[in-house]
Amino acid sequence: MGVIDLDGLTVRLGGRTVLDGLIGNLQGQAIGLLGPNGAGKSTLINTLLGFHSPAQGTARVFGLDAHRDRAQIRQRIGYMPENDSFIGNMSGVRFVRYMAELSGLPPSEALERAHEALFYVGLGEVRYRKVESYSLGMKQLVKLAQALAHGPSLLILDEPTNGLDPMARLRMIQVIKEIRQEGSIRLLISSHLLRDIDETCDEVLILKNGRIAALSNIEHERRSNRNFLELETIGATDQFSNSIRNLGAECASFPGGRIKLVMPDNIAVRDLYVIAAEQGVQIRRMNLRRDSLEDIFLRAMVDMPPPNHNPEAQPAHVSL
Amino acid sequence: MSVYKHSYRAYSGRVTPLWSRVLVLARYGLAEAWSSKITIALFTLSLIPFLVFLFGIYLANYPIARALIARGGPAGALEVGPAFFLKVLQSQCWIALVLTAWIAPRLITFDLADNSLPILLSHPISRFGYVFGKFIALFASLSVVTWIPGLLLFIYQSYTSPAPWVGKNLHIAVGILVGALIWTALVSLLGLALSSWVKWRVVATGIIFAAVFVPAGVGGIISAILRTKWGLLLNLPVMMTELWQRLLGAPDELSNISLPTTAIVAVLALSCLIFVAMLNARIRAREVVRG
Repeated sequence: MGVIDLDGLTVRLGGRTVLDGLIGNLQGQAIGLLGPNGAGKSTLINTLLGFHSPAQGTARVFGLDAHRDRAQIRQRIGYMPENDSFIGNMSGVRFVRYMAELSGLPPSEALERAHEALFYVGLGEVRYRKVESYSLGMKQLVKLAQALAHGPSLLILDEPTNGLDPMARLRMIQVIKEIRQEGSIRLLISSHLLRDIDETCDEVLILKNGRIAALSNIEHERRSNRNFLELETIGATDQFSNSIRNLGAECASFPGGRIKLVMPDNIAVRDLYVIAAEQGVQIRRMNLRRDSLEDIFLRAMVDMPPPNHNPEAQPAHVSL
Repeated sequence: MSVYKHSYRAYSGRVTPLWSRVLVLARYGLAEAWSSKITIALFTLSLIPFLVFLFGIYLANYPIARALIARGGPAGALEVGPAFFLKVLQSQCWIALVLTAWIAPRLITFDLADNSLPILLSHPISRFGYVFGKFIALFASLSVVTWIPGLLLFIYQSYTSPAPWVGKNLHIAVGILVGALIWTALVSLLGLALSSWVKWRVVATGIIFAAVFVPAGVGGIISAILRTKWGLLLNLPVMMTELWQRLLGAPDELSNISLPTTAIVAVLALSCLIFVAMLNARIRAREVVRG
């Protein structure tokens, strides 16, 4: 059973198909949700929270039907919305306690966890200030604190670094990484920023026009490209290429001493230097090439078949 | 999580039942309502008529005072009966409207102004649960100035008057309770529904008063122009006074404009349905984040 199972999920809002037959099984510890504006990211999150009912298919969170069992799902989810969403005239600790109580914690435990959550996200010193007096970064953090306080199994973060300055962004990314490493919480992070997803997630779901453009395991993608090397050499390039081939590597040489190779796991980079030294070849440049998330994203955007030109089937523009 | 270690720990303690989450909303709503000094001031003001009526009951059952007033005052000036409790109900219920106009916007408008509904409703609480929690908070606040003081006065009168009085007038207690509950429920829904459509608290307060008195004026105009009594169905004060009279068995103060009870009940029920529909529409529209 995955964290999120999508089985032909179709969601229509106002007569428009916003999510169109999504199929996938998301199992990562931290799942990134990417896509351009109007791709359906918010609608997918709202569907998982039980706000929208599927027109066709189902969405399951921890095996529970997202619409029918929404109360149980919400019990296990911590949700940090993208926009400002808080109660401004409450102090930080009271707000987080309130949300924790709504998630089912008894009042005394909720108060204790509210203090802990605020310290954990770095708002311990300002927890008695009214939320409306917080800076944008603090407001993001207090939303994260309320999402964490009741100890959810799945944390949904919608644009967690939105509007943050570089320092606040780093702090947020750091907190997300810590949560991920702790291991008891699965994360679903929606973001426009590929870098944020790249730094925090191990699986990515890319949506485009309400359909899945790519669903890939980032770690696996990285591993599969880990040994792809580009070399620039001076000297007996052909002989050097043959020697590399003899080691068992796939290799192609190009004019100007350029060599591209995919190294098997049993060969280390040091072996190349040894061969080069033996043959008097100078390795002037070595570039470890790996697919970045940007490559995966761009490939998904390009490879995606054009959307159905039927205007009725066009997804609605639900931006995040 | 631990404050001194700053590390995360999962929660493995007891979890409250789902149905009790509504009470969390009600409790925080009550705290919000009564955190205002103006609420306390209004409540204190609401005690003044209560104390006056209490003193009236005391005098009515005090032989010397009765003898003095019987000698110089109008006949029946100190009689405690349906008419007396009608005045109690009228005064307390109009104070409740003032309290509603102040409290209801505090319960809903803050949530709307800060866009907190997406975060509130992402917890295991439904739209109905959210509204019901707020309703409980407002209803409980208004009860303190409506049926509770009314019944307290009735109990005091029962205690101080000779024994047969209670047996003969038990219907007054039922009338106080039912009449006040109808009014409290109606103005609670009215206050919440109108507050949910207005982002500014002061405006919401004004609109709640306007919603009661503007239709009353329109109804009066309709009645005058068309020479009909049915325009009074828009006049909430008149309708409620008639209903309270019938519930308490009080003499008809407005005998020339008698409205059928079924028509009054139907209009009140329709009003409640409209308020619920307004609340549902507004909260549904605001429950998810829209970019």
